Amino acid sequence: MIILQKRHWLMDYRDIYFSKLNAMCFLMLFTNGLLCAQNNKVKLESSLVVASEVSYEFKSDTFQKTELILKPEFVLKFKNRSKVVLKSQVYSEFQDNLETGQPTELMVSGFSKRIFIGDRTNLELRELYYYANLKKIKVSIGKQQIVWGETDGLKLLDVVNPQNFREFILDDFEDSRIPLWSLKTDFKISDFNIQLVWIPDNTYHITQDFNAPFFTKNMFKTPPEGMSMQVNQTKRSTKFVKDSDIGFKLSGFKKGWDFSLNYLYYYDDLPVFYSNFNDQATAIEISPAYERQHLIGGTFNKVFGSTTFRGELVYIFDQNFTSVKIINQGIVQADLYKSAFGLDVIKGEYIISVQLFNEWVTKRISPYNRDLFETNGSLLASKEFMNDNLKAEMLWVHSFNHNDGYVIPQLSYWLTTNTQLLLNSHIFYGEENLLFGQFKNRSRVSMGFKWSI
Amino acid sequence: MKSILLVLAVVFAVNSSSIFAQQKLMDGQRIAEKTHERNEGVTLKRNLIMELKDKRGKTRVRKTIALRKYFGKEKRLLIFYETPSSVKGTGFLTFDYPEASKDDDQWLYLPALRKTRRISAANRGDYFLGTDLTYEDIKLETKISKEDYNYTTIRIEKIDNHECYLIEATPKNIATKKELGYSKAKFWVDSKLWMIRKSESWDIAGNSLKTVKISDIRKVQNIWTIHHILVTNHKTKHETVFKFENNDYQTELSDDYFTEEALVNGL
Repeated sequence: MIILQKRHWLMDYRDIYFSKLNAMCFLMLFTNGLLCAQNNKVKLESSLVVASEVSYEFKSDTFQKTELILKPEFVLKFKNRSKVVLKSQVYSEFQDNLETGQPTELMVSGFSKRIFIGDRTNLELRELYYYANLKKIKVSIGKQQIVWGETDGLKLLDVVNPQNFREFILDDFEDSRIPLWSLKTDFKISDFNIQLVWIPDNTYHITQDFNAPFFTKNMFKTPPEGMSMQVNQTKRSTKFVKDSDIGFKLSGFKKGWDFSLNYLYYYDDLPVFYSNFNDQATAIEISPAYERQHLIGGTFNKVFGSTTFRGELVYIFDQNFTSVKIINQGIVQADLYKSAFGLDVIKGEYIISVQLFNEWVTKRISPYNRDLFETNGSLLASKEFMNDNLKAEMLWVHSFNHNDGYVIPQLSYWLTTNTQLLLNSHIFYGEENLLFGQFKNRSRVSMGFKWSI
Repeated sequence: MKSILLVLAVVFAVNSSSIFAQQKLMDGQRIAEKTHERNEGVTLKRNLIMELKDKRGKTRVRKTIALRKYFGKEKRLLIFYETPSSVKGTGFLTFDYPEASKDDDQWLYLPALRKTRRISAANRGDYFLGTDLTYEDIKLETKISKEDYNYTTIRIEKIDNHECYLIEATPKNIATKKELGYSKAKFWVDSKLWMIRKSESWDIAGNSLKTVKISDIRKVQNIWTIHHILVTNHKTKHETVFKFENNDYQTELSDDYFTEEALVNGL
């Protein structure tokens, strides 16, 4: 039996302080921009993208989602290449199936929460940042996305921003990635570009409730028979400065090689599920807590003829794993090495892209529901027809260890200058206790459109 | 005897005028080189509008901002999509090196992924972003390759009342023919401006492939500038119109426009 303690979210002092500081910094830079703008031309650009998608689930013979998304965007550009960017979103899911009711968003900081209107619609400030071009240094401050890495489909270095798993990993990363209140600076030293990031916004992955279609049940151990499970309130970081994430990226381009070196000191966006028996040993108490870790990594790519060779390497210190054993609160730590190598071949309208992902747990531990060495592969094939009017593509992601995975065939067609039609299918396979296989009953066919002005 | 002398005189006169005419025709290779010698300024910022029309008449419009700067002999080109809004911010950066043996470096920024993709520049004959011009055509900016073809100057013809050299070009070898996707091409090169006013090309099998017509050439900030290109693909019946607006050679474009970081941050 699973008992979820009822929790109320209150904006704590950290959020208030954080909100004020962010707003002050933003206002100072924005005022500076406006003062500069008095002597320069200011240009306001606006656009709107309307996207809709309907998905039909094969197994349940029902519609899985019927969504409509409005994405208004405003950019105020100053002549010195500084700008203020505002991206917002109105999201409606007419069946209230993917995120039922009004989610409490306990893992989201008070300043980044969505505003829910009824159960089916929410408003979200996706991005609001000021980009200041100060000649030698570029500064972006505000709510924004910071994206690192080279891989498609699976993320290694792209961990600066958390993700909404409303549709597991099927949603476009642009939509599922959660922008954070943060500061990003870019400057040059010699031929190298240095990027520093500071992220005081402690928002984590939005994972789904137990009854949601894309609840990731493979992460949770089933309690022993006859024993109940109690989940306590998740322990979150509370210090504004001390608990913020920091990182840097050094990148360059030498002799045809693109490369980057990355470092991030951050809270893992998934909580660690510490488990203990209660006093009577009749139930297991789960106490989730977000924990810090260090990550170093890098990327590279180079073109050889028609082929681009690219790679991404990540080493995480003291990654927490749920253990099969109940000792040490059911958690075991080990360093984790991840790598991805890819080849992209472009020939005319054809693109073939192959990626090989490896994860290696560097200690002999017994993690729950995973092997110490895991290999995944992906294959993307696409072709454009009719002067890029029509595009056909197919993505296949497969776990070699567990023989589960998913396939996405997709067609997209430009009906007019501003209207694109989409038809795709997401097909999962594998055993139900596995990362991809758990969603085989969620396999679906979808159609939709994007219209913009 | 008199009549024989008269005939000989006429024959001599005809021959000498013909020889004179041939001497007037400039060598094709030299004409190709002349197209590279014209003044293009150091920097250029402009709006490039592409209208893609299929055989049924359906037209799609893509509006972009294009920036170009010479770093010595190396040319860097940056193109950003402005519309449609759903692909706004898609950026394309090219480093075009002067050495013919060195492939260009190219990057494509995809805002939907928020990632920059390194793309191969080896396939010069691939079509550029769904248009009817190839990457090589775009890169040359209505100049003629100095390295890829053997040229024969055919004659002088008038295009839109402008005197042009008509030169025929055949790829130097089979590999080049396959790379470019052309087995033969004809160029009408303005004899005063050293710009192409018209070209025709044939595919690898020798079938008529494309006609390119360039019009509305006028001076902007004292530099001759093309404002309109119409490309007709005879095989697919597809057409692309390229319109160049707000050409500006005087706005200073700092070096940091032409970087991967600028691709991500946008204009």
